[in-house]
Amino acid sequence: MRSEIVFLAQALPEGRVFALDNQTFISSGIQLLNAIILAIALTFILYKPVKEFLEERTNKIQNKIDDSDATMAKANELIAEYDKKIKEIDKERMEILEDARIKAVAESKLIIDEAREEASELKKRSLDSIVAEKKRLQDETRQYIIELASLMAKKYITENMDNDTQDKIFEETLAKMEDSQWQS
Amino acid sequence: MNLNIDNLWVLDVAGTEIWITETIFNTWIIMSIIIALAIIARIKLKSFKLVPTGFQNVVEIIVEVFDNFATNALGKNLSYIAPWYFMVFVFIFSSSMFSIFGLRAPTADWATTFALAFASFSLMIIMGFKHQKGQYLKSFFNPHFVFFPLNLIGELAKPVSLSFRLFGNMLSGTIILTLYYSLTPLFVQFGIPALLHGFFDVIFGTIQTYIFVIISIMYVESAAS
Repeated sequence: MRSEIVFLAQALPEGRVFALDNQTFISSGIQLLNAIILAIALTFILYKPVKEFLEERTNKIQNKIDDSDATMAKANELIAEYDKKIKEIDKERMEILEDARIKAVAESKLIIDEAREEASELKKRSLDSIVAEKKRLQDETRQYIIELASLMAKKYITENMDNDTQDKIFEETLAKMEDSQWQS
Repeated sequence: MNLNIDNLWVLDVAGTEIWITETIFNTWIIMSIIIALAIIARIKLKSFKLVPTGFQNVVEIIVEVFDNFATNALGKNLSYIAPWYFMVFVFIFSSSMFSIFGLRAPTADWATTFALAFASFSLMIIMGFKHQKGQYLKSFFNPHFVFFPLNLIGELAKPVSLSFRLFGNMLSGTIILTLYYSLTPLFVQFGIPALLHGFFDVIFGTIQTYIFVIISIMYVESAAS
């Protein structure tokens, strides 16, 4: 038996639509072989590489999603932390403001008290000064009146009055002048 | 168009006469086109981006949709045979589309459909024994051993019915189109046949592709589980 492929030069057999003979099963065998070759080619050239590419991309996207989730969780933690800090700062601010207000109230009270005390002191000093001045003026006036009256009396007495009359006039004049001076 | 499957060459291989039919030659053409497209896709795969566009979209959709479909139908433990059905799907669909150009679809020859159905039948037996072991053989004697002949015929009928279903459907389209081209005057052979090709080749072709693949997958899946 020669094992070689020979193109037969004889006339080609007539075609047919369907037959159940050896040639049909030989054709089936060839077609099966073709199918296996095509399956191997498609699997290794297209199907597996594309599937691997898709899986790789899916993993890459999944990793990115996981990373994003992790970043988001971290960001949420930071937000919560900052919120907490902001609340603490608010609380602290309120405490500082309250302290400042209390201090300001105390200080203002102290200042007012001091001012009042100072004013009162000033007033007292002024009153004392007025009283002293009044007393000084009174004394000076009295001294002046006395001197004046003495001069007048001396003059009158010198001219026409005895001692008794002189004293009486002096006393009356002095009394009158004192009254009129203090009333004004 | 010719209704018969013509013989293109006759080979003598070790004393055995082998007819190289129009079907086999057309299959080689289709294989060449599919493999060439696959090689182009493989080359372009290197420049595939994270966000697909154009050609990348088409390649991704074809592979991803089929893989999801096959994985859902076969289950995770049988998903490793999905590439075989990917080839079956692509080949039968391409054969139907081949017919649009007035050439004979390889699937309109029982030799082709039987080869594909026989491969599915073989896979069914292999997967049955691989995953069920003795239980698969035992299932032939259920519910009683007297049902063995019926069960055996039922199993053997599967590749026959599968192959004849696809062959009959594809041949019907070929016959109708051949009759149309043969019996109508030349002036109605422009435009109108496009509708017939669209119906018999594209619509019927797509439906029959789906039916053949899903039934084959069901046979294998039921044998293995």
